[in-house]
Order: sequence, then structure tokens, then C-alpha cells
Amino acid sequence: MDLEEFRGALDSWLDAHADQLAPEEGAHASLDGDMAQLSKVKRLAYDAGWMRWGWPERVGGLGGSPLLRGYLGEALTTRGLVEPGIYSMTEVLAPTMIDHADPALAAEMVPRLLRGDETWCQGFSEPGTGSNLAALGCRATRVRSGAGEVWRVDGQKVWTSLAQYAQRCVLLVRTGTVEEAHRGISALFVDMDSPGVTVRPIGTMHGRPEFCEVFFDEVEVPGERMLGRPGDGWAVAMDLLPYERSTALWHRGAFLQRRMDDLLAAADADALGAEAVGRVLVDLFALRARSRATMRRLDAGERLGPETSVDKILLAGCEQQVFDLAADALGGRIALGDDDESARWRADHLYSRAATIYGGSAEIQRNIVARRLLDLGADT
Amino acid sequence: MSGPLDAADLADLVAALEHAGSTRTGPALDAALEEIGWSDALAVAPRTAIGPLFEAQGAACHTSGALGVLLCSRLGVGEPAAPVLPAFGTAALPAVRTRDGVRVEGLLLGSVGTSGVVVVTEGEHGAARWATVPADRLAPRAVAGLDPDLGLQALDASVPLEEGYWAATTGSWDDAVALARLALGHELVGTMATMLELARTHALERVQFGRPIARFQAVRHRLAEALVAIEAARAALDGAWCHPSPTHAAIAKAACGHSAGVVRRHCQQVLAGIGFTDEHDLHRYVRRSLVLDGLFGGARSISAQLGAEVLARGRLPRPLPL
Repeated sequence: MDLEEFRGALDSWLDAHADQLAPEEGAHASLDGDMAQLSKVKRLAYDAGWMRWGWPERVGGLGGSPLLRGYLGEALTTRGLVEPGIYSMTEVLAPTMIDHADPALAAEMVPRLLRGDETWCQGFSEPGTGSNLAALGCRATRVRSGAGEVWRVDGQKVWTSLAQYAQRCVLLVRTGTVEEAHRGISALFVDMDSPGVTVRPIGTMHGRPEFCEVFFDEVEVPGERMLGRPGDGWAVAMDLLPYERSTALWHRGAFLQRRMDDLLAAADADALGAEAVGRVLVDLFALRARSRATMRRLDAGERLGPETSVDKILLAGCEQQVFDLAADALGGRIALGDDDESARWRADHLYSRAATIYGGSAEIQRNIVARRLLDLGADT
Repeated sequence: MSGPLDAADLADLVAALEHAGSTRTGPALDAALEEIGWSDALAVAPRTAIGPLFEAQGAACHTSGALGVLLCSRLGVGEPAAPVLPAFGTAALPAVRTRDGVRVEGLLLGSVGTSGVVVVTEGEHGAARWATVPADRLAPRAVAGLDPDLGLQALDASVPLEEGYWAATTGSWDDAVALARLALGHELVGTMATMLELARTHALERVQFGRPIARFQAVRHRLAEALVAIEAARAALDGAWCHPSPTHAAIAKAACGHSAGVVRRHCQQVLAGIGFTDEHDLHRYVRRSLVLDGLFGGARSISAQLGAEVLARGRLPRPLPL
């Protein structure tokens, strides 16, 4: 199926099933509500086939270009059916499993994620390793257990999005020495109901506990749950980045477009101001054109690399620009409004502060641009 | 040159335009473009004809009459004469008809031939129409201003002109403006690329506190910021070429103008003292990009205009399709 055909057919299906797909009254008011809505939409879209396009047949997909996934997420986001932040985990983690897990494991697990039967999380950051991921210390040791050998995991993760909902976790652990830095890191696919896993959601300034601390206390993980081989963890983490910066970023761009339209409907023209609105339009256009070109490169099988830091920087800038404008134009509602819609603007504005922090901070992105794209050499 | 161009033709065209734009300027560049068959290429492969030429011209701080040629070509003006460009900071028709003629307020760029200048004004039913007028009747005034090397001339004159002089354009003014804006966007990208290269080279060579200043994060981040701005400008142009419309061209020109401001600010700061002297080339690019931003409407005024349209409609224009 090509993109044009997919676009038309999907749009018709979304129109025809609008009632069924629509979020329940007040679903956006809580993360629980958004998660339930996400599962519902994924299940309906999977059962109708849409959620399977763009994924390989060996994991239950129907094949076709990743552009189909790009459009699906865009359509769902633009229609307000899913929140792109929580939807993005699928885009980021399914490719990781497809590329690195044992084929039988991938074939068993990926459909559960695509269908919304399961939520997965990504255990990367640690209290002591934020930007410097290569220094992570959560340890996995090979030990005998019963009939065979397992990995025993001890340590802590933080900023683990959706861990409280997750059945599985793609976990980066240290299997080598600290001195080996990124070469001593491995990736495990961990069942979150394993004995010894403790999840503690973190309260946030925007009021939605999207991320958690996760503690691993002598958690046993079967040997076949390693993604790739010992020492491949860094490659797993790096291979995930292109998806975070292509399909997932495209979806978030579509979300900003949608929220800007919402803002135009919600605020007074005078409060918005023509020049500020024009600036947002121009910057969203540049972001979308950039992201579109990146999607096309992904589709052409090109290897995405450090140049996607540009996409990320443009996205973060646009996100803060849109919600800064919202804070200006809807100041009273954001400050005082207790209705659901005001609460949503407030949460979106506050969450946009994190746009330059998560997924590689603004400073890290600029370091990458300076070193890798401008070839300025080492920075010390 | 006629008929469709294959990939090899296009690659040759790009190479020829890049070479011409970077090695020649003024009438010499116009002559080179004539030899390349640029105006024919413009008709068959506008993006390939415009992008490489204007970027090379901008990157070298060169000038040519190409902007006028593409404007006339898009309007369907069948005469090889320089058109009057809109007044600085606007994309309005440069001439308004009066009771017995026309009032012209605009700019001339590049050499003006003996056949006069092309004046475009409003025609019937929103269409445009044009006439040629001997340049001296419009009393052109050479402009030094911020960028004397650009060779602009300002026009502000009323001339009597009989009805029979006018001919209808075949292309619309809005489409011609759109094409001119894309060309200027590319020229701005060229100036930005050179400013960044000058600043980058300086940062790698200039040693302070025992190391090149390119090692300092504050400096690196400024250069990164400049590169991101250039990439945003390039992306906007790409989007506008993929889905051409006057609105997309306006957006792209505004994006390029905004980015040029970012690039000027950071590169000037990294180049610091030397970049403030006239012995360093930076000032030429700062001057050029400021003036280019104002031709056919500056970033700020285009943004305000686009924003006003969005507010009137109550929603953003349809986003670029994937």
C-alpha cells in the first residue's frame, strides 16, 4: 500500500469510526485516562490493520514504508485521539525489538505492543547518569539459577516513562567494567512483574506522573532476554535514536500544529498578536519541512545520524514557542482556570519546559552539532 | 536548451551555475548566465536554476540581474529589460496608475539596458500589466546606503503614459513575487553559509588561554545555533519548492530572514573584534543579508502579514503533507 492510498483509506476509516475512537468525557484529565484511550485506539487500529502497516511481517506487521506509520500517528494526533508523548514509546521500542531481539521473542512480543495489549518502557537514565549515559551503573551479573544461567540485575533507573503501566522494559545495564564505559553496556528485555522490581512514580510540575524511578533488587532475567550480545547495549540505545527523531518527532510536530489550531480557537486575536502567530507559523513550517525530509530519508533506507539533532532542536524550540504564546494569550485561564481545558493548557505549557531537557538536553544537542556537524573537534 | 533535462544535464547545470555565481559578479555574471542559457533553464527546471545560482551568488557576495530576469520570466514579460522591484520592505506592485500615466515607487537592481525598464502595475480583474519606460524618465537615484556594492537605484517618480503602452502579463504578480522570494531566500542562505564558515574558521584558528576558542562551549553553542538556523532556512525553502504556493514562498522568505538575523548575531559575536573591522569580510555579508531581507518584504513584516491572515481565518494553513 502506498502513502496516498493509505492516507485516503485511513481517513475514511477514522471518519467512519469517529464515535468509537473518541476519548471518553474527561479522559484527558488524567494520565490513566490518556493511557486507557491509547490502548483502546491502538487495539481498534490494530484489529482494522492500520496499526500493522509499516511494520515487518515477521512481527505481525503488513509491511510497507515507515511513512505509513508516520501518517497514522499524525492522523491520530491531529484528530486528538492519542497523546503523542505516550504513543511515541511504540515507535521507539518496537524497532529496537525488531532489530535486536531474538526473532522468536520479537515475533511474540511486538504484536502485543502494537495492539495496545501491553505498555513498554525504556530504562536508560540513572540518578548518576543523565546526559552522560555511558557512565551508567545498573549492574547485571551472570549467575546460575535452577537449570540454567540468568542475568541478575541490581540498580536503579530514573525518568523511566510509563513504568507504572509497563509490562516490559528495555533496560540498559552494565555487564562489563566501569572503565569500559559504553563498551561495557548491554540491553535486556525485562518483565516488569519480575520479583525484585519496584516502581515509584515521580510527581511532576505539570501534574502528570509520566515517569518513574525503577529499582532492581536481585531481579533475575533469563539469558535469552538479552537484546543482541553482551556489550551491544550502546548500539541498541543508539539505534533507537533515529526513530525518536523521525516518526515520533513527526507525530509531535503534528501535535504542535493541532495545539496551535486549538489556541487560535481558544484565544482572542488581540491577545495572540499577528506577528507572534506568524512567527509560530513560520517556525512550525520549517520544523515540518525538516522532519518531512528526515522521514523521506528514513524511507529511502538512509542511516540517520547526528544531523537529527537539528530536528530535535527545532522541535524543542517550536514546542516552547507555541506554549509560551499560549501562556501569554491564555494567561488568566492558565493561572486560574480549574476547568479541564484550562488544566490542559496549563499542563501543556508546563510540560513544554521539559522539551529542552528530555531526549538529550538542548546543551547536549548543541554539543553534538558542534562536534559532529561543524567538526569543531573535542570540547575540552 | 529545450525539452526536459535528465539527471546529468541537471548536474551540469548546477555545476555551471555554482561556478559562475562564485567566480563572477555584475555584468560578467550576467554574461555567464546568458552563455549557460539560464533563462531557458529557469523555464524547465526552476528549482535547479534558482537554488544553486542564488546560493553561490550570496555566498560570494556577488550581484547579477538574475532576480529581474526571473521576475519578468514568471510574469511573461516578453522583453529583456530590468523590471522595477517593489519598494524596500514590501512586495507591493511598484507602480500605481494615475489619471494620465503611472506613479513608480521602487528599486532597480543590476545593470539597466538601453531598452528601458519594465514597470508593472495593476491591470483588469486583479491581473497585472506592464510597460517599458526609458530609465531616465524615472530619474533613478543611485543608492549607497547599507550595501553600496549591491548597486541599487531608487525610483520615485510620476510619468505620463498613454493607455496603448500597456500589455497584460501572462503570469500573476503573486506568483512572480513567490519565485523572487524563493530566490532571495537562497541568496540569504548563501550569505549565512559564508558568515558561518568565516566564524568557524576564526574559532578554530584564534587561540586564547592557550587553546583555540572553538574549544569553549559558549563559542561552540553559538556556532551550533547558527548552523541550526541555516538548516531551518534550507528546510523551509525545500518545503516551499515541494509544494509551491505564494503562502509557502512567503513563509520560506520569512524563515530565511529570521535565520539570517540569528546567524549574523552569533557569527559577529564569535568573530568579535576582527569581525567588526573593515579588513575582515564579515561586514560585507552582514550588510548584504540585511538588505536582502528587506527586498520583497522583510521577515518581520511577512510574519505579521501571515499571522494576520491566520487570525482572520482562525486556523493555520493546511500543513505540508508527508
